[in-house]
Amino acid sequence: MSMYNFKKIAVVPTAKDFIDIILSKTQRKTPTVVHKQYKITRIRAFYMRKVKFSQQSFHDRLTQILTEFPKLDDVHPFYADLMNVLYDKDHYKLALGQINTARHLIDNVSKDYVRLLKYGDSLYRCKQLKRAALGRMATIMKRQGSNLTYLEQVRQHLARLPSIDPYTRTIIICGFPNVGKSSFINKITRADVEVQPYAFTTKSLYIGHTDYKYLRWQVIDTPGILDHSLEERNVIEMQAVTALAHLRACILYFLDLSEQCGHGLDEQVKLFESIKPLFANKPLIIVANKCDIIKLNELSEEKRASLKSLEEDKEITMLEMSALDDTGVMEVKTEACEKLLSFRVDQKMRTKKVDGVLNRLHVAVPKQRDEIVRPPCIPESVLAKRANKKRKLEREIELEEGDDYVLDLKKHYVDIPEEERHDIIPEIWEGHNIADYIDPEIFEKLAELEKDEEIREETGMYVVPKMELDETMQEIKKLALQIRHKKAIMKDEARINKQSRKPVMPRTAGAKVFICFIIKKLFL
Amino acid sequence: MPQNEYVERHQKLYGRRLDYEERKRKKEAREPHKRAQVAKSLRGIKAKIFNKERRNEKIQMKKKIKAHEEKKIKKTTEKVSEGAVPVYLLDRDVQSRAKVLSNMIKQKRKEKAGKWDVPIPKVRAQADAEVLKVVKSGKTRRKAWKRMVTKVTFVGEGFTRKPPKFERFIRPMALRFKKAHVTHPELKATFCLPIIGVKKNPSSAMFTSLGVITKGTVIEVNISELGLVTQAGKVVWGKYAQVTNNPENDGCINAVLLV
Repeated sequence: MSMYNFKKIAVVPTAKDFIDIILSKTQRKTPTVVHKQYKITRIRAFYMRKVKFSQQSFHDRLTQILTEFPKLDDVHPFYADLMNVLYDKDHYKLALGQINTARHLIDNVSKDYVRLLKYGDSLYRCKQLKRAALGRMATIMKRQGSNLTYLEQVRQHLARLPSIDPYTRTIIICGFPNVGKSSFINKITRADVEVQPYAFTTKSLYIGHTDYKYLRWQVIDTPGILDHSLEERNVIEMQAVTALAHLRACILYFLDLSEQCGHGLDEQVKLFESIKPLFANKPLIIVANKCDIIKLNELSEEKRASLKSLEEDKEITMLEMSALDDTGVMEVKTEACEKLLSFRVDQKMRTKKVDGVLNRLHVAVPKQRDEIVRPPCIPESVLAKRANKKRKLEREIELEEGDDYVLDLKKHYVDIPEEERHDIIPEIWEGHNIADYIDPEIFEKLAELEKDEEIREETGMYVVPKMELDETMQEIKKLALQIRHKKAIMKDEARINKQSRKPVMPRTAGAKVFICFIIKKLFL
Repeated sequence: MPQNEYVERHQKLYGRRLDYEERKRKKEAREPHKRAQVAKSLRGIKAKIFNKERRNEKIQMKKKIKAHEEKKIKKTTEKVSEGAVPVYLLDRDVQSRAKVLSNMIKQKRKEKAGKWDVPIPKVRAQADAEVLKVVKSGKTRRKAWKRMVTKVTFVGEGFTRKPPKFERFIRPMALRFKKAHVTHPELKATFCLPIIGVKKNPSSAMFTSLGVITKGTVIEVNISELGLVTQAGKVVWGKYAQVTNNPENDGCINAVLLV
């Protein structure tokens, strides 16, 4: 899986950025202070270091590019061919080759200038030589501008390619455009390929994964292919062709029985015949799609006749399917998986390695104890539930009711009695979170408390004791009341007086002014 | 699994975030402010580079604006007055007298200057001490009869050094050059040509014989590659060229072909 993951290639900077990066790196990572009274050897070493450092950084960066980009000769032929289709092999190789040459040139420039620097006899001359050296390296890089931009584009595209493993169990879906290939892959995997009612919606390879027999199956959706010669095929079609040619996979050839894709049945059969060489030595299934519109046995005689050549072939299985209403989708999937699995096992059996493993293998088959049948135990309730029809989905209700539909989630709150189910319960009420006050045992607690209260009331805990005031206390109370009244009135008056808008002399200032006044008087 | 054009697909399905346009507009509007802030805070070489780039950008912008403005202008041509000279006759026989005179003087000066004038007529003389470094020898480092040339030199093909005892001038391998970048002044093109020999080093005759190449030196280059032909129809292969740069500082020889 990780073998063909091109997402880790580092960004290729543009020529200008490249130069800026290296030069600023040189500036940062080498000493910057030199004086002409230094010993000449020291000055020479200072500048030589700069030249060598920038050469090394250029070299490293370019080497990184060269090693990270996949070499077309090393990758799987499927990827090599795909890259040839997408990026043009010659262009790709030329770009990498030129980068390689630039690396050599930079190395040579550095070598020459370091040699010249050895005979530098002044700071000025050394500095000029360093300047010339860095300048020539920068010029060499500048010439690589178009190559670098091309490689960057390739990198971005490569990173977005689906990571197809050419060695695992693979199912490839192919056929004319608009016959329902993408709908099928959406049905059996979670690929989420775009489906639209026009031709060439899928413009590149898409990959999805599905499960069968606890194994992972790779499903590849290819763009539609038209029936013409290989030279006339465009980039989109060529991607499908490379996948068909190089991947050892089970192939599902899709037919559109209803001919809604815009191509007649005989045309589709003709395409099948013309790309048949690509299916050689691979398990093959022909899928008659869109059987919800017209069934295979409802076809007219002429159309039937065009299919005849396919039906007569013993090696080809033909299955009916409709991706729209799910008929036959699972059958197609299991059939494809089974075929491929047996094919792969068969192929593996033929290799030499098998003998070494097989003679060590022993499959034990336990002998049957008796004739009693012991079926799995399924409880009655489960059976009853299975017998019942599926619960109506909310989606189905929505489709039924159309515009009148209102989403009602509360009807599933079965624990609450019917009439209370739709009550509105606010989350926050008068600044309190209601959830804080919810207590499932609240009624029991309340009952307990009430019982306690009853007992207390009965024992006469809350009976108010009678109090008698003597005369002096009554007088004091009266006086206190008067005082309180008076105080309140005075408080109000004070507040009203305070509201005047006149400027107020602050307490501290008054004293100062007064002192000044006195001093003035004294001196006069 | 995201694959192929998944970004575009997502945009197609779910659209962009609602304030995308606004954020974009604001970001663009903020850009000049940000740039000003950067320009203010930069110091040293970075500021220099930044300012230079900004200046170039502005020049380009102004040029563009000017070009657009020129496109818009509608040209109004005056009506042709009667008896006017048509365009194809305008520059004929009306050559002003002054121009002819100045042209004649220029021509004469050129002739007077002689055949052998070179692009760089005056060259700073190279002192011996500058070109030749004393190499000490002997057990006590007392002998100082050896010299090392510290400028770029040309030694002919098949050159072999003398035995150390007799070798008065050392010409280091690193400073030996075989090729020069020669500019043809009329073709305005530069070629990398092999050097045949040093014709004259204006500083001294000794340098000429040693093959020292400094600024102003006249060298002979092999131009058979260019395919120039003499009047008789033979291919010219040797021509003189004058060095226009300081090869010891630049690490390469630039020269102008003397035509």
